[in-house]
Parts: sequence; C-alpha cells; structure tokens
Amino acid sequence: MRNASRAAFGWLALAAGAIVYPLVLPGAFYIDVGTTLLLAAATAAAWNIIGGYAGQVSVGHAMFFGAGAYLPLLVYKLWQWPPIAGLPFGIVVSLVLAVLVGMPTFRLQGHYFSMATIAVAELIRLVVATAEPLGAAIGLQGPAVGRGVWDLTFRSGLPYYYLFLALLAMVLATSWWLQRSRLGFYLRSLRASERAARSLGVPVRRCKLLALMLSAAFTSAAGSLYAVKTGFVDPESGLGILVSVQMIIVAALGGAGTLFGPVLGALILIPLQTLTNTYFGGEGSGLTYILYGGAILLIARFEPGGLLDLVYRARGLFAKPAPSSEQSRHAA
Amino acid sequence: MLLEASAVTKQFGGFRAVSDASISIDEGEIVGLIGPNGAGKSTMFNCLSGDLPPTSGRIVYDGRDVTRASPEAHARLGIGRTFQVPVTFEDMTILENVMVGAFLRHAGRNAAHAAAMDILEMTGLAPIRDRPARSLGTPGRKRLEIARVLATRPRLLLLDEALAGLNANEIASAIQLVRAIHARGITLIVVEHVMEVIMSLAQRVLVFNQGRVIASGAARDVVQDAEVIRAYLGQTQWIAAAPAAAVP
Ligand SMILES: Nc1ncnc2c1ncn2[C@@H]1O[C@H](COP(=O)(O)OP(=O)(O)OP(=O)(O)O)[C@@H](O)[C@H]1O
Ligand SMILES: [Mg+2]
Repeated sequence: MRNASRAAFGWLALAAGAIVYPLVLPGAFYIDVGTTLLLAAATAAAWNIIGGYAGQVSVGHAMFFGAGAYLPLLVYKLWQWPPIAGLPFGIVVSLVLAVLVGMPTFRLQGHYFSMATIAVAELIRLVVATAEPLGAAIGLQGPAVGRGVWDLTFRSGLPYYYLFLALLAMVLATSWWLQRSRLGFYLRSLRASERAARSLGVPVRRCKLLALMLSAAFTSAAGSLYAVKTGFVDPESGLGILVSVQMIIVAALGGAGTLFGPVLGALILIPLQTLTNTYFGGEGSGLTYILYGGAILLIARFEPGGLLDLVYRARGLFAKPAPSSEQSRHAA
Repeated sequence: MLLEASAVTKQFGGFRAVSDASISIDEGEIVGLIGPNGAGKSTMFNCLSGDLPPTSGRIVYDGRDVTRASPEAHARLGIGRTFQVPVTFEDMTILENVMVGAFLRHAGRNAAHAAAMDILEMTGLAPIRDRPARSLGTPGRKRLEIARVLATRPRLLLLDEALAGLNANEIASAIQLVRAIHARGITLIVVEHVMEVIMSLAQRVLVFNQGRVIASGAARDVVQDAEVIRAYLGQTQWIAAAPAAAVP
C-alpha cells in the first residue's frame, strides 16, 4: 500500500502544480501553452479509455472532437444560443457516431476498427468541408463579443485554463474509477485475449462499445470547450487527421493503458511542439508532421509500452530481484 | 444428466475434426477424455464451451439447448474451460487475472477481490498473487487458468491437458487440486495423455479416435478394449515421448 500513497502524493503535487502554474508564470503566452497542454492531455486521456485500456486503436477520434467543436458554433449560428449550450448536443452526436462505427466493427477482431475509424473520420471531414450550413471550408464562428456571462468570452486566458483543468480532472477521475471497476478489468482482459475473456463470461462486444461511448463523450466535451475558447472551427482544426494522430501519440508516448501516461505524453510533446513552432514558425506546418513522425518512430522502435513502462523497467533493474520460483520452469 | 451432446460434428472445410460424437455426463462425475493427437478432443471442448459452433448436432446442458450459445453465455450458465495452450492476461497480475473470473458472479470490486483470494488460497497461488502473469512458466500458467475459471463458479469444468508438461511433483499436486475441485461438487471432463493420471482420476473414460467416440466405460475395461489398444495404447511410448502438442 506504500505504492498507493506515493501515487496519491504524486497526483496531489501535480494537481497543486497545475493550479498555481498560471499564477507563477502569468504571461498570456504561458497560459496559452498550459491550456494547449491540458487540452492535449484531456483528449489523449479520453482516447486512452478505448485505445489504451481496451486496446482498440481508434485513428478517427477527430470525428468526436469535431462533433463537439461544431455543435456549439452551430447552435450559435442557427439560434444565437450561447455556444456552451451545444456541448450536450455534441455528446449526443458523438454517441450516435460511436455506436454506428462500433456496432459493426466490434464483431470483428484485428484492425477493422482502426480502418473504419480513419475512413469515417475522413469522410465526415470531406462532407463537412463542402456543407454550406456548416460553413464549408471556411468553418463556423462564435460571437465576436460576449453578450453575457454564458457566452464564456473572457479577455484573459485564465478562466479557460481552469476550465480545461477541470475537464482533465474529470477524465482522469473517470479513468481511475474505470481501472478499478469490473468494466476496467474486462477491458484489460479482452485487450490481452478476446477468446480467453469470453470463456470467463466477459461480454466483449458490449464492453468495447461502452468504452468507445465513454471515450467519445469526453472527447466531444473537449472539442466543445475548445470551440468555446477559440470561437472558431474549420474542417482542419476540428476534424483533421492531425487531431486524431495527436491523441494517439500523446497517449502512446507516455504509456497507453495507464492513468498517468497521457499526462506525461502531453508534458513532453506540447512544450516540444511549442518550441519548434516558436523558433521555426508556422503552426500545423510540415514541422508538426516531422515531430509526430519522429515520435511515432521512437515509440515503435524503442518502447511499445511508452515512457512510463521504460521508467518502471529501469526501476525494476535497480530493485532486488524477486525470488525465482518453481513456477517459472517451462514445459518439456 | 448434466450434459448431453448428440451426434456432434465439426467440419473444417472438407475435414471432420469431430464426427457424429455423442457423449453424456452426469452431475458429479470425473470423466476422462483420451485419444491420440489430432483425435478431435480439443475441438470437442471448443464445441462444448461455445467457442466453435458445431456444424451439426445438438448440445443440451441442464435441460437447456446450448448448441449455438456464445462462449460468454456458456460461462454464465456454469460451463468453464481451460485452454490446451494457456491464454493468460499477460500484463495483469495473477490476482487480477483471477478477479476477471470472479467478476462474473460479483459486480463489486471488494466482493470479487475476496472471492479471488479464496481461489488463490485453494490453488496455492496466493503467495505470488502480485506478480504479472507473464512471469509464469507453462505449469504456472496452467494453474492460473484453472484458478481463473474456478473463480467463475462453474458447475461443469473442461480441463484440456491441464497436467501436460508438469514434472512428477507438480503432477501429484495437480491431481490433489483436481480432487479438491471435485470435492466442491464440480463435474469434470479431463483431457489427458498420461494414462496414470486418467486412471487415478477418472471414474469413466471416453476414447476419441479420428473424431469419433470409439469406446466408453470404466477406466480398467477401456484399457483392455482391443480397438483402443490398436488406436492409442499401442503407441504409448511414442505418446510419452511427445512434447505438449501445439494445437489449441
Ligand atoms: N480451427 C481449425 N481449423 C482447421 N483444422 C483444425 C482446427 N482446429 C483443429 N483442427 C484439426 O482438427 C483435428 C483435431 O484437432 P484437435 O486439436 O481437436 O485434436 P486433439 O485431439 O485435441 O489433439 P491433441 O492431443 O494433439 O491436442 C486436427 O487434425 C487439427 O489439425
Ligand atoms: Mg488437444
């Protein structure tokens, strides 16, 4: 149990650091980087529920992020509602998408799910990019000036920072609960072997679908907060493939299927991305692709388990070797 | 009658791995299932556990037709099985592996944990419960599979070569374990190549050859059956020397 209290202490320290960070480094630039980091961690943690714990690698989570981002600006455009009122609608659309993609593909094992998610996300991006009611290639915009507190248009970036921090805390709290629950055990078991899991009574398809819906709902909420903050979304920023790829890289870099992995991944990748963008200019330029490509190569080459796994193993090297047992002998 | 399989056939392309096999099992029995490599024993288990639907035939368990029920439905109804080549959840600890099984009957984490601890004590895995499953060798994995399926509280347990690849000491303790499982009121079908194990455990033996049941009866009688000797026991030396087969 000493490990548990050490982990709790680590989380408390991290939470305290996240809360005081914008007060210690109060410049608009630092708050913006912090907000970007929190958004990356929150979306990666949401992706982690289906891609990490359940091992079903979605390459199309942009469809949920995009649904979450478009709906607030759509309800503003159509009815002049405060954009945040679109958040629940984004979640509903995302849940429908999750069921449509998950139902047919979770019957099958292997890469069908990954391929279906890429295909559907790209299809949606292409359709949205030509749909006039959704602003086509130009995209949608929120209110230029806030009409009241519910428009959530703040001059300072500070409220958004704490909004994203609250979202990240919610996703992590849900993941923590999930890890300890029956559903969490079932997801980890089916990631290892669907056949063995089913032999123990695990309803594999239902569990995968539940995990995807949970993951989609949080990703959508993140997309909505993003749209409320920026007051703008277009097919690239809401539904582009980079949106999906970033979630995978952040989660896998830190360690997919762990609670801290997505946070660690964001702590590494976002400052790096900010540095390259600042010194070489141009966000979303070819450089982002090079950075992501490099990260993928590193993950694939050295550590399929992510950096967290590397840390655990390094720690294992220095720990006392466990007493070897009769059990480790192999069959004749 | 706990389980009745009538004229079960499983065809892979043009090849009949199980051919018109009928077996019936009474509650409380330990039945041995023997036969040479490739006889169709594991395939029969796959049919009985819902892993592979039979091509034709009918399987009735506890008065219910389960021929086409899913593996998870079989587990819920109380039919448990182990795999010839163990399939453990590698990244999870031994305790967590067993908890996956226990969650079938206990929705809450604490209840599942307590049930899993009981089973770990019974199977002797309690002292190493916090090790990852991947640290186990084949004998340990086989024991873990038994523990995991026991946690689902089966009424009928299908053990597919759970004792293969064990040394003499390990076999003795595994036989103890199977007896303890039986003493809990669980009915067992045991596939095993080592005749001594079958003779010491099974009250009744079924012999498979080329997908068919060629003999059935008390262990001693079956050993004397001419057809059995020709199909199987004549090759005892070869069987004893064979490595654990790799067909799941
Ligand atoms: N999924 C499959 N597809 C095609 N052929 C299969 C499949 N599973 C088993 N077979 C074949 O069916 C036959 C019976 O295999 P099975 O594994 O049931 O035999 P077994 O009696 O368990 O043998 P062993 O003692 O070696 O475990 C073998 O010839 C095997 O190659
Ligand atoms: Mg077999």
